[in-house]
Amino acid sequence: MNTGVKRILLVEDSEQDVELTLAALKEAHLANEVDVARDGAEALDYLYRREAFADRPDELPVFVLLDLKMPKLDGIDVLRQMKGDPLLKNVPVVILTSSREEQDLVQSYKLGVNAYVVKPVDFQQFTDSVRRTWLLLGSLERGPELVSVAS
Amino acid sequence: MPGGSDAVLLSIEDITERKHADRQVIELNRELQQRAALLEAANVELEAFSYSVSHDLRAPLRHIDGFADMLRKHVGETLDPTAQRYLNTISASAKRMGTLIDDLLLFSRMGRAEMNRTTVELEQLVEEALAEVQVAGESRNVEWTRAPLPTVEGDRGLLRQVFVNLLSNALKYSRTRDPALIEVGTVPGEVDETIVYVKDNGVGFDMAYAKKLFGVFQRLHGANEFEGTGIGLANVRRIVSRHGGRTWAEGRVGEGATFYFSLPRRTTGVETQFQSAVTQ
Repeated sequence: MNTGVKRILLVEDSEQDVELTLAALKEAHLANEVDVARDGAEALDYLYRREAFADRPDELPVFVLLDLKMPKLDGIDVLRQMKGDPLLKNVPVVILTSSREEQDLVQSYKLGVNAYVVKPVDFQQFTDSVRRTWLLLGSLERGPELVSVAS
Repeated sequence: MPGGSDAVLLSIEDITERKHADRQVIELNRELQQRAALLEAANVELEAFSYSVSHDLRAPLRHIDGFADMLRKHVGETLDPTAQRYLNTISASAKRMGTLIDDLLLFSRMGRAEMNRTTVELEQLVEEALAEVQVAGESRNVEWTRAPLPTVEGDRGLLRQVFVNLLSNALKYSRTRDPALIEVGTVPGEVDETIVYVKDNGVGFDMAYAKKLFGVFQRLHGANEFEGTGIGLANVRRIVSRHGGRTWAEGRVGEGATFYFSLPRRTTGVETQFQSAVTQ
């Protein structure tokens, strides 16, 4: 089943953060479909179309927004799995995290993350970061096709 | 050989004492090892604590600011000025606490980061720090005076931070002056130490509060007077003491301030590392 809809996978365990991230995407005028996985294990189920996500549409998400600290498998585990799998390694991954800890940043880049966004306390700054990351990913050669709508 | 057996008896007594001393040494060593293990464990715990603060404490603050923002947009024009003000206060406080957490994490990192000792040219550090703290295109009138500075041994990145903090303070607290006079120099100290100072002609401070200056989040001015959380000088003190040096300040209200720090000429690495571990 190929629906032709560009999907983003948001992997985030906090309900509040899901809502805020969706609001930020909307505010940045980015109107893609967003699917949500609540932890790292669900994210892998989604990517491999198994368990609760066995029936999801064929195409892979245009990119994955990935939280780091989550129950069960954390963001680093998901990233490692994705970048080690020939079928998934070309899906851009953006880490979205509260943490400014260097160890997270270093490890993420070692594993081949495409962008790393530290979520600031300021919501408007967060919206700006999301918009900038979007532009950055869109400008990459073989970057994802993204749906952006003007205000 | 009766004489020989006498000697044997004597030597037995000697061995007892030596054994006692040996046991003491072993005991002391064991104690030292235990302490080192405790210290190591405390450091690991601190690391985990700081990691958790970084991840978990900032998240609810983001939610507070984010949802206040969404509420503001949701109710839009219907909000009366008082309600507006309440919402803005909620947002501002959340952001303030975010800054405090970031500052505290940075402070903790200054204490934990491994020291990378090299030969450091202080003059070059001042050069770099100046480039960092001067705001491009700012039309302030600042007169800088810089005396030659020596070369010391220490962690380049950390010592650079000392100058960044002291110079940005000097700029901040002299911004009402025209011209602002800022001076970087050295004064003679003990034979085995280098003393550097940063002096400004800014608003100064009351010497009665001099002891508070280097404390974490200690401020002598209101937040609406001079911005900041009060972590800069605490970082300066922590870095300098990790190098085995001292920090102090002199000032008068309305007549500027001078901040001093000393660095030992030759630092014995082990000693200062131990000191810094103990004081943390």
